[in-house]
Amino acid sequence: MKAKDKLTVFFIIYIVGLSFVPLIHQTLLGENAWLGYGTGAYAFQSQSYFVLFNDPYDGSSKPNIHINPYFAPNARISLVEFSDWTSWVDGFNLFNDFNITIRTNKRALDVTYTRPGITIHKFVEVTPSGDAIIVKLTSTGEFAAHLELWKWVMNSVNGMTIREAPKPTVLPATTSINFTFPYQPLRAVGSGSISLSRVPSQIEIWPYEQGFNKITVDFVNSEMSFAVSGTMSATGTPPFDWSISYLQYVFPVVAILVVALYLLVGKYGKRKKGRSGSSSR
Amino acid sequence: MESARKVVLVALAVRLVLAPFFMHAGDFGTIYESSIMALRGENIYDFVFQRTLQMQHATGLPAFFEGYAYHPLLVYFFVPFYWLYSVIAGPNQVMIDGHYPSLPILVYPWTPILLLFLKIPIFLADVAVVYLLARVDLSKAKIYAFCPYIIFISAIWGMFDAIVALFLLVSYLTFSKNSFVSGVAYGVSLVKLYTIVLLPLFFVRLYGKWRELVMFLGGLTVTLLPVAYYLVLSPTSFWNVLVTFQGTRVMGGVNLYNFIWIVPDVRFDLVLSIVPNVLLVISLALLLRRFGRKGPLLEAILAFMLASFLFGRVLNEQFLVSIFPLILLCRECDHRLWIAPFIFIFLRSPFYYFAVPILWASPVFYSYYLRVDEIWRGLQAAGYLLIPIYAVGITFSLLLLLNLQRVLRSMRSSTGLGDLPRMTRRVVGDYAVSSKARVFSRRLRILLR
Repeated sequence: MKAKDKLTVFFIIYIVGLSFVPLIHQTLLGENAWLGYGTGAYAFQSQSYFVLFNDPYDGSSKPNIHINPYFAPNARISLVEFSDWTSWVDGFNLFNDFNITIRTNKRALDVTYTRPGITIHKFVEVTPSGDAIIVKLTSTGEFAAHLELWKWVMNSVNGMTIREAPKPTVLPATTSINFTFPYQPLRAVGSGSISLSRVPSQIEIWPYEQGFNKITVDFVNSEMSFAVSGTMSATGTPPFDWSISYLQYVFPVVAILVVALYLLVGKYGKRKKGRSGSSSR
Repeated sequence: MESARKVVLVALAVRLVLAPFFMHAGDFGTIYESSIMALRGENIYDFVFQRTLQMQHATGLPAFFEGYAYHPLLVYFFVPFYWLYSVIAGPNQVMIDGHYPSLPILVYPWTPILLLFLKIPIFLADVAVVYLLARVDLSKAKIYAFCPYIIFISAIWGMFDAIVALFLLVSYLTFSKNSFVSGVAYGVSLVKLYTIVLLPLFFVRLYGKWRELVMFLGGLTVTLLPVAYYLVLSPTSFWNVLVTFQGTRVMGGVNLYNFIWIVPDVRFDLVLSIVPNVLLVISLALLLRRFGRKGPLLEAILAFMLASFLFGRVLNEQFLVSIFPLILLCRECDHRLWIAPFIFIFLRSPFYYFAVPILWASPVFYSYYLRVDEIWRGLQAAGYLLIPIYAVGITFSLLLLLNLQRVLRSMRSSTGLGDLPRMTRRVVGDYAVSSKARVFSRRLRILLR
């Protein structure tokens, strides 16, 4: 084999081999660990949930909890997003008025919010059984919090629909918030549950179009945790719904196709050269 | 020469017309920010290092602030033009932030004037390249002058790889005539560090020609004095910003490595990014051994640069500009290579991103921006764009490979070693440098046939 051909073969194997890296990484290392990327973004993939913390584009999603339905495991459907942009502690905005540091161990993300006179920890953790995500806020002293949880959009919250609550409505005091939502691309319906560790001072739901898009929780305490879980069920045969997580399967195909095209063009070019050579004789 | 002058003037005019209305906010913002700091006598490297430390402290990740991570000389190309601009517009900042992922706040009417002034050094480099190429071959000068890719990078993006291109070209053209000038030019080409791969080649080429070697290294040393200054002044900052950041970046760009953008695990990404580095060192060592002292210099430079683009971990869209004049001078290379990185630009950054100075000028345009951006971000978040991005990356790598193979073949044949058996090649190799040896090897080859 000529040196040129050896180099080509090596390079082709190299390209195709590397194209499998995302798939291999996801299979061997990508699950059940907090992985950091981008400018401070973190993600956790369990069997049923995908949790994104600190969206790399705009710093939102703190965290955004997604569900992976059993009938479409690569789909990521947002269950609920905790928004720092629209949440306040002691009158200070969590996104703009606090310094944030993020540290992680294998299962828990420890986010520290500091400003003069107050330090709050937000722990985001997937339960060992993997059936819920715990978001826990804790501080050494009491703090007054107004947290906003977003979901576009919920059909009903604690049995209440837009008919019963056409305006922002305060829910009766409870530690349990249950909601349902449709997901058209998969022809599916989902239900979510948020279980609070203590009774908050107020829970309010906010209408948007034909449902609700926001739940606000106000409390004064030194600790509060939210256990978020959800399920989805298909109402018929779910159609294929593209998700970015399919790219790990697409890339090897792209690599093989491009390489094959390159080889074909090379071969065709040579033939053409050969033909023109022979005709000139 | 009359038509050469015309080409130079038209090339300059095209660039000047485009300059005030477009920019890459992140890269142009870095140049602007650094020029302000340099004029005030502040330490740019300390600033960037501090921002990096802040990011690392906040995120707990080995993240780097993407600021001024270039040779200290670079900023002094822009400072005189920034000073001129500030004489007209005053010292107030007219472009605030803009580092990814933030978008800049722009102040009118000064932003377009700032864009025009700060792009002048890039345009001067561009037209100097056109002029030098015109002296060799006018048609090649025209290709460089009016290549959409080159115009885009210089006039629209506002990236300064044309400066690298100019000084690399000068270094090549003066290599056999004036080693000192060649050394200085090569040193200045290091304003973007990726031409560092050529240092062993130049060294080996001059090894044994002691006077020329000393002159070349002398020229190079002159350009390294600012580096020495910063190494003494703030060694930790300088090392972190220039060496640690550039040496340990996560792989990606217009190459086969951009698959890494879908592996959201920066620690893993950094470990995997060592693989291209290892291959780069091996490929350069092999090239140095086989062609360090043999074959024409132009092809040798291109072989080294193409190999570094092929195996190097990061290959940004604009890097090809640096060797584009040399590609035009090389018979074996296909200058249409530019098409791949040109397409890549529009897949990675939407065109309207470069038109921010126009779109920020009116609330109506701004509302269009927001609408289009929503669609673009939707495509990006769904991962649709990553598929063509990956395909173009691989295609460009394969095209680089093809061009590298052509260059190597031409070098083998020019050293007269191509068709000889391995043992004979070794015997002939040492003689092949001189023209006498070339004649000898040609005769030997005929005899062997």
